[in-house]
Amino acid sequence: MKNIKTLFVWLAFLLLAAQFSQAQTASQEQIEKGKYLAVAGDCIACHTAPEGMPFAGGLPMHTPFGVLYSTNITPDKNTGIGKYSYELFRQTMHEGKGSAGHLYPAMPYTSYTLLTEEDTQALYAYFMSLPAVMQVNRDNEIAFPFNLRFGLGFWKALFAEDTSFEKDPDKSVNWNRGNYLVNALGHCGECHTPRNFTMELDLTRPMQGNVIAGFEASDITPGRLIAQGWTKPELASLFKNGYSDKGTVFGEMSMVVYHSLSRLNESDMNAVTSYLLDSDKPVEAKPIIARTPDKKAAGHNTYVNMCSGCHGLEGQGKPKIAPAMQSNATINRPSLYNSVAVLLRGIPSQKYNATTAFYAMDSFEELSNQEMADLINYMRKAWTDESPNVTADQVSRIRDELEGDGLIGVGSGHAEF
Amino acid sequence: MSQTINMNINGQQIGPVEVSDHTMMIEFLHEKLNLTGTKFGCGAGVCHACVVLVDNEDGTTSVERSCISGAGYFDGKKVRTVEGHAKTNEQGEVSELSPVQQAFLEHYSFQCGWCTSGFVNTATALVEKLAKNPINKDQVEKTVEDALQDNICRCTGYVKYYQAVKELILKTPGLTV
Repeated sequence: MKNIKTLFVWLAFLLLAAQFSQAQTASQEQIEKGKYLAVAGDCIACHTAPEGMPFAGGLPMHTPFGVLYSTNITPDKNTGIGKYSYELFRQTMHEGKGSAGHLYPAMPYTSYTLLTEEDTQALYAYFMSLPAVMQVNRDNEIAFPFNLRFGLGFWKALFAEDTSFEKDPDKSVNWNRGNYLVNALGHCGECHTPRNFTMELDLTRPMQGNVIAGFEASDITPGRLIAQGWTKPELASLFKNGYSDKGTVFGEMSMVVYHSLSRLNESDMNAVTSYLLDSDKPVEAKPIIARTPDKKAAGHNTYVNMCSGCHGLEGQGKPKIAPAMQSNATINRPSLYNSVAVLLRGIPSQKYNATTAFYAMDSFEELSNQEMADLINYMRKAWTDESPNVTADQVSRIRDELEGDGLIGVGSGHAEF
Repeated sequence: MSQTINMNINGQQIGPVEVSDHTMMIEFLHEKLNLTGTKFGCGAGVCHACVVLVDNEDGTTSVERSCISGAGYFDGKKVRTVEGHAKTNEQGEVSELSPVQQAFLEHYSFQCGWCTSGFVNTATALVEKLAKNPINKDQVEKTVEDALQDNICRCTGYVKYYQAVKELILKTPGLTV
């Protein structure tokens, strides 16, 4: 009799143990999934300060209203999100309301609201599994009245909705996955969709490009990308490596590539490129535009003397040193903004992987507005489909804007004594 | 296509001379003027072995990379190369090195010497700037590091170059306060 009792106790224990270990493995899978989703959502880019602990926050974000600091999202009980229940975490991600109250929309909850319940749970499991870092959040430097968080409640009531992601039944599984990655996790629209005067995303012009922090987040609508000659392999190359036949990524986008896009798995990469080009089939490639430049044009000598050393007399570039100007997507677009901004700001040297780094580009702010317009027209005429109709006035407006923001020459490697 | 250019190199008026579009400044110095002291290193504007000095009208001096700048960029400008720093006698022989050159010799700053002309030019620009705007003694180390950080050396590991410039700045009256 006693033996049978012992047996029951053992059986009960084994059953419990089995159940317990099953729960453990499920949660380990969930954590791994959450880790990948956090990469696809590029959480680390904003929630880590330069040389700071991962996910411990502290990155300054400059907005028209003042400076915001990203927060500690490690599970530290006092300074992080250690006390967050799943419900509160979900509310933060989907509704922008955390323990401190309404969040500024620098946190892209207007995109994350599209996350599925399952993915939100996985993200919660992952963040709760991270090592807790004790780092007190910095106070935001936001001017009155925007520092009053209850005001955000009104903003949200007007502009933010807790919606869920809806699959388009007419599109493929692959396309729908791409849509989810681009619009929910990737929150691409937060930069690439223009905002109106209330800082609300202007959803009548989705992904049509937007100037942010002195560079233009490009128009990435399928029509524009196809007009520029992007194909799926080329977009994938840009996202995987940071460079492609159509040029390199620069500015904030290089961080997006480094932390997030380059780490997507192959099927997700295919989904993203299929969605961006709005096609499950391969997109037809366009020949590279390589006309002989007009040697009598006004911009010719400027190009020869100041650009051709790296970008080549025929705009062919130097592999892994300087991108080609032929069919370069930065120049081959109706908008003039980045052509001027790159010339005025320069680009710091960018290391893309262990064997590939493109060299720093100087700022050429010493060029006059007319010289710059001539130079851009010279390149447009030879190596793009755009008409060479840039004027000095247009350049001047962009120069004034960048000058006002103190951004000219910042990325340069140029020495002067 | 070609351009017709004029410039002043080491005090001597050059031109008018015709250069073709693909003539970079370093090629112009080597092939047309026989000024071979400027060295071609990476060819991509990174190592700064090829830098020359341009004296601007506003009194500043720019350090320019001759391997990636077309000769035409220097049209109408006042340029100094490594050949222009030492004093020469009537026969054109070097009679006295510049203080920077002398300091590099005394400190055994270089071994193969490929980067040396670039270091001489950058350091010269720095010393001249300090003569106009002296700095505190405790800023010298950082100022030297900041000024020379773009010049790459693959033999001596920078220490002897930096020490030479630092010592020269500290011992030359008027460069520090």
